[in-house]
Amino acid sequence: MTRSHAVQAVLLIAALALPAWAGPYWVHVGAIAWYYALLASSWALLAGYAGQFSFAHVAFAALGGYASALLSLHFGIPPGIGVVAGIVLAMVAGALIGWLVLRLTGPYLALFTLALSEIFRLMLVAEQQLTRGSLGLQVPGWFGGESDRPYYYFGLSLLVAALLLMAGLLRTRVGLFLRAIRDDEGAARAAGVNTTLYKILVFVVTSGLAGLAGTYYGPFVGILTPSMVILPEMGLVIAMAVIGGIESLPGAAVGAVIVYGLSELTREYGQWRFVLLGLALILVQRFAQNGIFAVLERPLLRPPAVEAERGRG
Amino acid sequence: MDKGRRDFVRGAGLVGLGVAASGPFPSRAWAAEPIPLGWVGPLSPPGNYSGGQEMKWAVQLKADEINKAGGILDRPIEVFYEDTKGQPAEGSAAAVRLITQNHVAALFGEFHSSVALAEIDVAHKYGVPWIGTDVWADQITALHYPEVFRVSPANSLIYLKVANWIADRGFKHVAILAENSDFGQGGAKVVADIYKQRGVDHNVVTVELNQQDFTPALLRLMNASPRPDLLEMVVAGQAQYQIVKQACQLGFAPTAKTAMIGSSGLLQKEVWEVDGECAKNLLVVDVAMPKAHWNDQARAFVENFQKRYGRAPTGVAMEAYDTLGVLAAGIAKAGSTDGKAIIKALESIHYTGVHGSYSFSDKTDPPWAYHQFMDVPFMVIQYTEMNQTPEAAAILFPKDWATTDKILPEK
Amino acid sequence: MDYFALLAINGLVIGLIYALMAAGLTLIFSVLKVVNFGHGTLYMLGGYASYYAITYLGVPPPAGVVLAMVALFAFGVVFERLVLHPMYTNKVERKDEYAIIVTFGLTVLLLNLGIVVFGPFSKSPPPFLAGALIAGPLIITYDRLIAAIAAIVLLSALSWFLARTSLGQALDAVSQSRESAAVIGINPRRMYTVAFGLGSALAAGAGALIAPIFALSPNMGELPAVQAFIIIVLGGMGSVGGSIVGGILLGVVEGLGVGFFPDPNRALAYTEAFGALLLVFTLLVRPTGLFGRPHARLE
Repeated sequence: MTRSHAVQAVLLIAALALPAWAGPYWVHVGAIAWYYALLASSWALLAGYAGQFSFAHVAFAALGGYASALLSLHFGIPPGIGVVAGIVLAMVAGALIGWLVLRLTGPYLALFTLALSEIFRLMLVAEQQLTRGSLGLQVPGWFGGESDRPYYYFGLSLLVAALLLMAGLLRTRVGLFLRAIRDDEGAARAAGVNTTLYKILVFVVTSGLAGLAGTYYGPFVGILTPSMVILPEMGLVIAMAVIGGIESLPGAAVGAVIVYGLSELTREYGQWRFVLLGLALILVQRFAQNGIFAVLERPLLRPPAVEAERGRG
Repeated sequence: MDKGRRDFVRGAGLVGLGVAASGPFPSRAWAAEPIPLGWVGPLSPPGNYSGGQEMKWAVQLKADEINKAGGILDRPIEVFYEDTKGQPAEGSAAAVRLITQNHVAALFGEFHSSVALAEIDVAHKYGVPWIGTDVWADQITALHYPEVFRVSPANSLIYLKVANWIADRGFKHVAILAENSDFGQGGAKVVADIYKQRGVDHNVVTVELNQQDFTPALLRLMNASPRPDLLEMVVAGQAQYQIVKQACQLGFAPTAKTAMIGSSGLLQKEVWEVDGECAKNLLVVDVAMPKAHWNDQARAFVENFQKRYGRAPTGVAMEAYDTLGVLAAGIAKAGSTDGKAIIKALESIHYTGVHGSYSFSDKTDPPWAYHQFMDVPFMVIQYTEMNQTPEAAAILFPKDWATTDKILPEK
Repeated sequence: MDYFALLAINGLVIGLIYALMAAGLTLIFSVLKVVNFGHGTLYMLGGYASYYAITYLGVPPPAGVVLAMVALFAFGVVFERLVLHPMYTNKVERKDEYAIIVTFGLTVLLLNLGIVVFGPFSKSPPPFLAGALIAGPLIITYDRLIAAIAAIVLLSALSWFLARTSLGQALDAVSQSRESAAVIGINPRRMYTVAFGLGSALAAGAGALIAPIFALSPNMGELPAVQAFIIIVLGGMGSVGGSIVGGILLGVVEGLGVGFFPDPNRALAYTEAFGALLLVFTLLVRPTGLFGRPHARLE
């Protein structure tokens, strides 16, 4: 067991123990933070590892959430199957977009996905006989009772499962190929890497995880609205991943928890906390590009691929 | 690691320590034991932050007045303000925070109905009273949660009367511009149903709130045949300013051929700065009483608000001021800060605020009437001069308050 | 026919104003190879700068526009020096992403600072000229007409500056190849600073010109920023002429889209979708925009 695993284990135990000593409010905050952590860590895989700087990630969360809620609402499908259907739909849409953006790079990719995300948001708003538009689609909860603890633990287990799944994927050759594609796509192709396959694969996996996040978010908050797809929400996810460390999946998840937790702690400062968020985003990127987590725990939370590369360099 | 990076890390570490120190521990006990109350509303985008700010100011004013007068139950009150950003998720998180962290005796405020719907689920779960200040969706009170009360109108309460009045006035072709929110769409539906019954030709155009250029859509309406004789906006936010300005500059409305009616956002003085001459002859649904009918409390409130914040309050500010007033009266009547006791007290309350005499209905037919303040004062006014305040504008409806029956400019 | 012409003319005018906004974005992109995700907030700052200059300093509206441009030029220079500067060293590994993140951070910072500093209530400077030009079926307000003409003037001046002055030619040289530019004695770093300052000034000019047409609010830049992204993709990133064509194209397509979308009730709600759809299709057919040079990654 490496030190990196030890740190992660400590964090996990702390997360598991938190509801025992923190009040219900922090349980609630934690349950929402898992949603962002799922998004930030899967986006880190997409953007940090694979270099696919997509602005459509939150749109996939909305797609999963809306699809599963609408299926249950209109066709009476049990929630469990609705969730699976929502995730599958997000993966199919992810495959489609991954295929569409094959030829796009850098800012063009960012703008293309931004436009798709905007079109999707406008459809959620305009097709109100189906989605209830900005009124928001009310989603029945999964667990009854007053406590948010079931959601807290369910969300945490989803997050852990997602992190394990992504780490497992990266431990195979896929991780190496993804980084190779990001750093120099032409060279990777010349070396015999099927770049098309892996680029689409990473979109499928991360979109499915975003969809999963959305299907969890809806029943917990009780309402889905098109505003979950607005650009500032995407910006928040980016900020979380960047601050935590865009090249470390657990780092991005921790970044999400830190950013969301801090924004709750500093509520009394009103608008200033978002000013600080913007400033933090610039400062972290300016002075600590691998995220504050990577700097604090430099060798601990680096993915093996990076580690190996650093070792060689 | 270079020096800059090291400094940054040290800074970040300090922040981390600070967080840990003030971390998620149960909140402290109050020495003076004020009664904690929770206000919720939008103070930043995408919420309607200008409306939220006005509400917050009015509440601060009322809170100070209550404490100056000795508080309630011999205890001062302390209001915790939460920004919900117009986002349901933020609203539900804020409600949970206020209830479980600040242990508030009640929640009140809110401007956006979709956020209110998320908040009342939380309030209902914890059995904490919630009073809505300016949320119009019928559904909020129609859910029949015992914790939920509303001092603002429900869409059906006002738009039913306004639509009938419009039909009575002989308008034949109405174009309804409705914002894409619960308020806009719900209001438009109420209005459209009445028009259908009354045989008024109408169509609904959905407006996206962050839109700025409405000219193409207005051109489309203007060139429709027949041309609408009334442009009705069911839009709460400041998008109305743009619509008014652009419709007017096209020579579309408000004109002798096509009148134009809007809602409360047009009561803020910015309407004159943004729209200038264009706001003249504009009809506005104003949730307030005519100045001639104001009680002493209303006069004092308007004066104090103007003095403290340098601008005149709108009807929304009055609603916010009264929301805290009625809540404080409820707590005083209950004689305790227990949620059930407060709810019981509110159900039979008689409180006089700036908007008149408050009581909450116990009827469930129509469904939205439950725990609804049924006597919300409102009128249809028309600006007749530049830089006119709403109080000085002509009143067209209701009949008892009307100062004129002519809609300008005359045909 | 009249209706069609009316929508088209209106689209043309608004498209020219969008083009001005996009020109700054494209200038920054062509020289620095950076998409400035903070462009919308620079536009917002420009609008407020001109508002305060007009209402508090009492300068006439055209001077307000100029002052706003000068102020934002200075802001752009400082931001570029402090934040974008490390991009040209080896400290930054992934420059595209670095730029997207810091400029996006600028948006978060300035938007919220705007709410704190400027307050939540809408503001509007006085019109350049009240009233509207009415010629047969055509109606264009003077403010829009003036903004469109000013946009043409500024865009022409920019083209002239890039083609005819030595500083402009130096910028153009750097935009084509920074290595060759360095060889002939141009300091690329200085050019980056100049380009970012000029781009900011153009955004400010657009904000100041639009201020009397649409009112000022701290989040006024969100929508135009997206429009500007669409335009530079349509026009090919890095081409000033392309951004003019792209701006007009976008204005006309959105106007006609709203005017002719089959369901009138939803037409308005879909306004932005027409432009976004245009961007998506353009990129699918030509991954570097309509008139774009192939996109070279910043190395």
